[in-house]
Amino acid sequence: MRNLFLFFFSIILLFSCSESKVVKIAGSSTVLPVISQAAEQFRLKHPNIRIIVNAGGSGVGVNQIGEGKLDIGMISRELAQSEIDRYPNTAFQTHDIGRDAVVPVVSSEIYDAGIQALTLAQIGDIYKGDIRNWQALSGPDREILVLDKESSRGTRHVFMSAVFNDKNAAAPGADLVLGSNNEEQTAIVQSDGAIGMLSHAWFNADVKGLSIILADNKAISPTLENIRSSAFPIVRALSLVTNGQPEGDVKLFIDFLLSDTGQQIVEDNGYVRIR
Amino acid sequence: MVMSASARVGKSYVFMSIIISTAIILLILTFLLINSWQAISEIGWGVFSSEWHPAAGKFGILAMIYGSVAVMIIALTIAIPLGIMTAVFTAEVLPAKYRFYVKSMLELLAGIPSIIYGLIGIVFLSVWIEDFFALQSGRTILAGGILLAIMVLPTVITLSDDALHNVPAKYREAARGLGLYPYEVLKSAVLPHAVNDIAGALLLALGRVLGETMAVMLVIGSIDRIPVPFLNTLLPGQTITSKLGREIAETAFGSLEFSALIFMGLLLLVFVLAFTILAQTFFYQPEQRLYE
Repeated sequence: MRNLFLFFFSIILLFSCSESKVVKIAGSSTVLPVISQAAEQFRLKHPNIRIIVNAGGSGVGVNQIGEGKLDIGMISRELAQSEIDRYPNTAFQTHDIGRDAVVPVVSSEIYDAGIQALTLAQIGDIYKGDIRNWQALSGPDREILVLDKESSRGTRHVFMSAVFNDKNAAAPGADLVLGSNNEEQTAIVQSDGAIGMLSHAWFNADVKGLSIILADNKAISPTLENIRSSAFPIVRALSLVTNGQPEGDVKLFIDFLLSDTGQQIVEDNGYVRIR
Repeated sequence: MVMSASARVGKSYVFMSIIISTAIILLILTFLLINSWQAISEIGWGVFSSEWHPAAGKFGILAMIYGSVAVMIIALTIAIPLGIMTAVFTAEVLPAKYRFYVKSMLELLAGIPSIIYGLIGIVFLSVWIEDFFALQSGRTILAGGILLAIMVLPTVITLSDDALHNVPAKYREAARGLGLYPYEVLKSAVLPHAVNDIAGALLLALGRVLGETMAVMLVIGSIDRIPVPFLNTLLPGQTITSKLGREIAETAFGSLEFSALIFMGLLLLVFVLAFTILAQTFFYQPEQRLYE
């Protein structure tokens, strides 16, 4: 009995020892696939460092860095001044690891019916609720299922800034509010008349990215080249945020992401490398 | 009176347990009250409006209250009759040897994590509702209600079954001896004795319906809007819990938005408490414990 007790005690001790080598990461679900894949490869090189990756959204990443619950936050938008003011004792440091576009996406049925490019004003009208049927945009006679995102999501901030010039703009035309890219992707796949906002990396056979028609009537499609050159109007940086200069394991991991291997992971996930 | 050492230990253990459980409830209440005070004092009656837009300083929670109440009514309307009838079957009709298997399966169902129910809701239930009613999207208040009904059914059934089963056999025998039909035995002898415990089962179900977060969050659509027309549950909505689930982690601790969210939590707790007290006064029967 005593031996058993000692055995369990030593196991607990063992786990609490390794606890000191944990790097906790959470935040944007856009950055998440890159980081979780990088974490796997990083562990092959540094088996004694444990990395715990969670989603939650950019807002969660920033808040939990401010509250000291994380080592690295993932964000897919700029830090807001209000967030910097909210945590005066936190020295936020951002580290860009890649670039991405936020693209208005539609169900493949709508794309195939001919709606492949819209102006930002048209997208704005859909989200304001002024356009309720695809017919108004010379599409099929089908109601538009307008998908909005949780208000703290980085993707929404970037999208709304581009469409309404206000990252917190309300969307009275919205039908559903969703969270992660994953959830949004599922909803678009399940519908035959949906429009939403997704990161460039989340397209598939049923989720099609629209081109955006600029003021000079030129349609810019969301291709890697157009994102790299910032010709596509809704591009953003994917970043990590830390409290102060990164040190130790955290620095090792960020350097790994900026290395050639790390940047290759960024590219493999459908984003644009920065180095 | 002299007590043995073990009796004293036992007594203080029981006493401690009571104090700890009471303290936990009081702590939660105080925590909710303190943290929602900012919202109560700064927004006041403004919280009972229908627009929620924190960036513009609007914190109306009516849509969430509507959603919670609507989902509760739908879920309980389905789960109560279905659950009690099934319990009557398992406790009174089903031979004892099968009852064990049925009950084990039901208790297994009660232990499935809610996220699993949520995923089933997204993949099947909401798609069925979308097709059946020819809707734009099946993520509706109705989907949330039905999903919750399925989730609380095992609780209702297994606890009601226990309640019926606990009624001593002598009451049934006496009733049968009077020449009553099986249906009359159930109605006049068994159910009146079990009603108190069945009410307890329903209260637990009510608590779960109002408190369930993950599954509802995935299927309800999460839009802070009261349907037009008012009773159309085939539209997306939001419950208090789905709102909390989606927003609380992203809100800064101590902000007005956080406080408003906590206030919703407080409302939910008060609501459940009120129901519990009501039910207890309503079903209270002096000397009702007939089991020996």
